[in-house]
Amino acid sequence: MTSADSESVVRSTDGAAVSAGAGGAGDAGSAGTGARSRRPRLRTALVLASADARLLLRSLFVLAGLLAGGVITWLFTDAGRPLWWNVAWVIGYGQLFLAMAVLVAAQLAAGRPRRDAMADLYASFPTSPATRVLGQLFGLAGAAPASLLLIAGAAAGVEIAGAVGAPGIWDLAAGLLLVIGAGAVGVALGTRFPHPLAGVLGALALFVPFSQSNRLTGPGIWLYPWIKPPQLTLLPGPVTGYPPAAAHAAELAGIAVLGGVAALALTVTSARVRGVLAIAGILGLAATCLAGAAQLRPIPAADVNRLVRAAADPVSAQHCTTAGQARYCLYTGFAAELAAIEAPVSAVLTRLPVHPDKTLTVSQAAPLSPDLTLTHGHPGRQVSQWNAQLQRVPGDGGGIASAIYLAVTVRPSDARFALALAAAEWAVQLTPTLTDSSELPCLPVNQAREAIAIWLALMATHTPAAQLQSGLDGPDGQQNWIPVSSQPAPVAVWNYPGQNLGSEPIAGPQPTAAGYLLASAITGLPEHKVISVLQAGWARWVDWRTTDGQLAAALGIRMPAVPQFGGAQPPGSQLANPVCTT
Amino acid sequence: MNGRSKPASGLRALPQLARYVAQTMPWTTLATGCLAGTAVLVVVARIAVSSHWPLGQGAVRLAFVPAVAALAFVPRTWFRPVTQATPVPAWVAPAGHILLTVPILAVTCWAQLAIMAGTITARGGTLTSPGDQAAPHPPAVYPLIAQLTGWCVAAAAAAACVDRSRYADLGGAVAAPVSLVAFAVAWYLPLTGKVLVRPPAPPAEVTIAWSAITSGALVLTCAAMRDRWHRYPRLSWLSAPSKGACPGPGRRESRAPAAR
Repeated sequence: MTSADSESVVRSTDGAAVSAGAGGAGDAGSAGTGARSRRPRLRTALVLASADARLLLRSLFVLAGLLAGGVITWLFTDAGRPLWWNVAWVIGYGQLFLAMAVLVAAQLAAGRPRRDAMADLYASFPTSPATRVLGQLFGLAGAAPASLLLIAGAAAGVEIAGAVGAPGIWDLAAGLLLVIGAGAVGVALGTRFPHPLAGVLGALALFVPFSQSNRLTGPGIWLYPWIKPPQLTLLPGPVTGYPPAAAHAAELAGIAVLGGVAALALTVTSARVRGVLAIAGILGLAATCLAGAAQLRPIPAADVNRLVRAAADPVSAQHCTTAGQARYCLYTGFAAELAAIEAPVSAVLTRLPVHPDKTLTVSQAAPLSPDLTLTHGHPGRQVSQWNAQLQRVPGDGGGIASAIYLAVTVRPSDARFALALAAAEWAVQLTPTLTDSSELPCLPVNQAREAIAIWLALMATHTPAAQLQSGLDGPDGQQNWIPVSSQPAPVAVWNYPGQNLGSEPIAGPQPTAAGYLLASAITGLPEHKVISVLQAGWARWVDWRTTDGQLAAALGIRMPAVPQFGGAQPPGSQLANPVCTT
Repeated sequence: MNGRSKPASGLRALPQLARYVAQTMPWTTLATGCLAGTAVLVVVARIAVSSHWPLGQGAVRLAFVPAVAALAFVPRTWFRPVTQATPVPAWVAPAGHILLTVPILAVTCWAQLAIMAGTITARGGTLTSPGDQAAPHPPAVYPLIAQLTGWCVAAAAAAACVDRSRYADLGGAVAAPVSLVAFAVAWYLPLTGKVLVRPPAPPAEVTIAWSAITSGALVLTCAAMRDRWHRYPRLSWLSAPSKGACPGPGRRESRAPAAR
């Protein structure tokens, strides 16, 4: 093959690569298919492949797919701490969108001769249809740079954001294989169905399982092109075989082979080649089925046991460090978080006028819930036992009075104020435990200890005033009101920074606007003066019966104006939050 | 036959025109799109029933996407240089095709809504978003119908515009993805989402917004179909010639339409 042969590959404006005399001088005298030897045919296919790869590389569809993939990866990467065992699979969602675009582009390219009604013209070329299809299949390598760029971009973003763990190579490789496999299916579709709608429908077929992933549960989800189970986000560490990335990559590779074989089978005429393709097809099918079966294998009981124990009794699976009056317990791999967690908590504890005689435990939590994807294939009794254990997961109901739990997905720097407030509430005996999701949080209405806790958190974190003030307004910019039992009208509440992180790291009592406004007013006083007043009657101040007015009077300040509910009670307001009395 | 100067003779030509329009209508494409979406919805409905999670309007939107994609292949003026030379205006055939799609799309929409309703009856409610519990009353359907109508007309407008460009031969292959991406962007962009998506927008507001889009798209479709001129702006950075490539089917002069 000479350079002149390369030049004989002609491109059409929208991305077609067709061979006009690709056989070169050596083939000039033997235009018939049978006369061509295998090596020049392979070389021709490679030349066509390089042209097709270049066209795929600059295809607008692929570019749009890459952009969409990047956006999807960004959207599905949780706003909190990125965990590699979750993010590596989330990148696959981005790859899914790229795969859809590659499928459409490949289908358009493969279906062009028949769609243009120029099959006869193409047949007059010295290159056979099978060689052209082979070139198109090899040319799918042109989609790999886009896929690798997506992986690299996402990995760079995740590492900059301080990801925990390490990426799974098979997770990322499976994404690349998804793109290549979709391209092979696109070539097969285009070879059989030249109409562009076939490509669009093929892309939609890829999209449907993704869009309905919320309905799909159990181990069967691994058989779809790409679905992420919701529990993956909450794992405290990687679990072997969850997701079964290597087997999934094998399944996708098998589908890619089947797509390529189907495309070639539609174009070859030689019985011998058809036989070879049949064998390759059978092998591809077998590989796909075996990979599917491998994905349905249950996760070893020991691994599930370890995971359930780590979720139900976090401290037993964590490394704990005691510093001052607090014990900090973190899962393996999260040691770097210690300083960020310790800073706000110790800043509160050192300011306490009177130190409690107990030790505060600050621990990470993995609020897992029973999931068939994790427990399938095990005896029912064992699964029931695991489910019962998961029902008692801290952060998902129940809770321990002397501990603060922070979900693994939450970045400590985002929950700085929340941690400080939880520690302060613990110190003033407003128990910072997670309440059961079916119960409503209590409100410390007109309780001095609430203002003291907020003041301690404010002094410990020095959070900007604007951020604090915004907690008085709801999403619609109006004051938030909550009906409270034994109160004649709904009470104005204050949402502290970090309260709405999504995974609710610390579900303590719901602060009131009155408590925040009084605490805010107290910050204007000298710290030593406040400490001395609190020290003088600590037992009285932490009593739930002591009011905001009494605290304000002791400190010599006026009680700030608190918003009063002026409207009518909303309908259906029988459901009222309790007052904190412990 | 001159339909514009002699209305009476134009009316006499209608049966012949109708036959031609019906014969050139891409029935297979349209039927494939409509049936594919409906088949997907049937499968999803089975999953929904077995998982005790009734279908929401989102599933109907998704199932209607293939029909919209198929519609993007309908407005097409074949052999425009020839048809423009005939006394019958060139827009008659694509306009007739679009009119023929209306009942088919309406039936598809009705069938898909019926499938959705079938999964709700057991629960006595439906979902407006994945996290919602079953509501006591199904949400109003008219905003959804307005939205799907808007999608259809917008896709037809995109296809009619592509038909007037140098990428006319690619037609729906360009118009369908462009339309679907535009719908997705409009759905997820906060600025447009708060007007076009329910909730947060109230049903009446959503209906009005989509009706306005439908009207605008309809005007654009008519204008594009009646346009007699070829629009061949060439994006030089897209179709820049590669070094060493020979002139071939794709290397046409800049005013020619692109090959498919």
